[in-house]
Amino acid sequence: MYLTKEEERIYDGEHGWANQICMKILVRLGELFSATRLIPISSAHISGVSYKTLGDAPAEFLERLADADGKARVKATLNPQSFDPEYLEKRLPKHIREKQFNILRQFEKMGFTQSLTCTPYYLEKPKRGSHLAWAESSAVVYANSVLGAWTNREGGPSALAAAIIGKTPDYGMHKAENRKPNILAKVETPLQNEAKFGALGIYLGKILEDNIPIIQGLKNVSEEKLKQLGAALATTGMVNMFHCDIHLEGGKMEKISVEAGDIKRTIEDLSTSSKTKPKLVFIGCPHCSLNEIRQIATLIRGKTVEAGTEFWVCTSRYVKKKAEDYVKKIEKSGGHVLTDMCTIVSWTEMLGIKTIMTNSAKTAYYAPTLNKVETVFAPLKQCLKTVLER
Amino acid sequence: MRQVTLNGRAIVEGRCEAQALVSTKPISFLGGVDPTNGKIVEKNHDLNGEYIKDKVLCFPHGHGSTVGSYVLYSLASKDQAPKAIVNQTADPVVVVGAIIADIPMIDRIDINQIRTGDTVEVDAYAGVIKVLKRRET
Repeated sequence: MYLTKEEERIYDGEHGWANQICMKILVRLGELFSATRLIPISSAHISGVSYKTLGDAPAEFLERLADADGKARVKATLNPQSFDPEYLEKRLPKHIREKQFNILRQFEKMGFTQSLTCTPYYLEKPKRGSHLAWAESSAVVYANSVLGAWTNREGGPSALAAAIIGKTPDYGMHKAENRKPNILAKVETPLQNEAKFGALGIYLGKILEDNIPIIQGLKNVSEEKLKQLGAALATTGMVNMFHCDIHLEGGKMEKISVEAGDIKRTIEDLSTSSKTKPKLVFIGCPHCSLNEIRQIATLIRGKTVEAGTEFWVCTSRYVKKKAEDYVKKIEKSGGHVLTDMCTIVSWTEMLGIKTIMTNSAKTAYYAPTLNKVETVFAPLKQCLKTVLER
Repeated sequence: MRQVTLNGRAIVEGRCEAQALVSTKPISFLGGVDPTNGKIVEKNHDLNGEYIKDKVLCFPHGHGSTVGSYVLYSLASKDQAPKAIVNQTADPVVVVGAIIADIPMIDRIDINQIRTGDTVEVDAYAGVIKVLKRRET
């Protein structure tokens, strides 16, 4: 791999341990994937922020990096943590809160933006064609497919190293030739809601591995539905990108077709329970857009959340602030608009939650193992019908 | 005994001589290895119950969460880490873990040539492993 004089100096330790270890990570990973150089990035997004998923091991490394003066050189955002600061924090034991705050403190010391969201693109949209080093698989697929930015699917540590160096090895999704579709997926059945887009993602992810599909036959597409599709694709597959531009030439490539039965079966499999009354109805995986919060507030129509049931809408602080009026309506109904956190990396077991209903295919897929709950998977309208008093 | 020499690719530099601990299965450091003492706790793993401390840990490749890299760092800071890592195919999780934990690492090695209990010499400057002494059977 070719390194500039300055990069070599960093590699040799002239700019301190923190920069040296980060440069080593990038160079070794670059070599692993046959990159020939490093390229500048416009932003980094770091996964592995929740104490629940991280445990104690990473804090030690983050502390050492921060103490050694590691500093983000580019805009660097953080994935959600394990609780909301207002509603859930007080319900968790002190030692958990402190461990979580310690992790956040280290990131803050290093100059990372405390965005605490899996949808950093709602805070600042990356430019089309810009190079990024993003972890958080749902954001990676969204950036590549919907925003037209270029990023590999980084892991927590490699995104961290890229943030501190401000560069990433030039391989994979940073190369135009690797962004072309190589398989055609024809959807032969109408997908009426976001849950069906999510189910399509779960179904295709299992088949596609790391291939890049053109998905044809999608109607009434919105950015939010594509967000559900992408998050689900990345849940079951190593897919980094999809195309859904019908004008793209398919050329000679393998074709698969998706029938109504495939979607139906996938939806059924994503629900582990149909009878149990959910203790929690959760919307906001990935974090809600302003549009989605508006839609929820409108659909509530002044009704109230049933006693004994929790209704959570997760988003970023930034979007919550912009959605103030809608947030008031949701909160008036008895629902909670929670920020900074993600339900699947939060402590739902400790809150006695045994069944989660959600419109997110990604959550429905992960929650049985990560949260040890039963799941009910259904579109937003049905979720609201369940949680609101008639 | 004819000495077995295996040539691979050096990933993290270093040198050591130690006993090999060999697995035919991938290892997930997050969830699969106890970060406090280096015990392999993954269910149905062929090394379940074994400690990786001070061993030359040979396995095909890593799998699972990228948080696994930090587990290797944590083990090293508690002096519970392996002396070296030998993989068939290096993957990002283990590579990053070995770098930040400063554990010598080599890949592109046919690990079937090494058996648990063998005494091996790892030269992770040159990317060479020598089996010095076979485990007594």
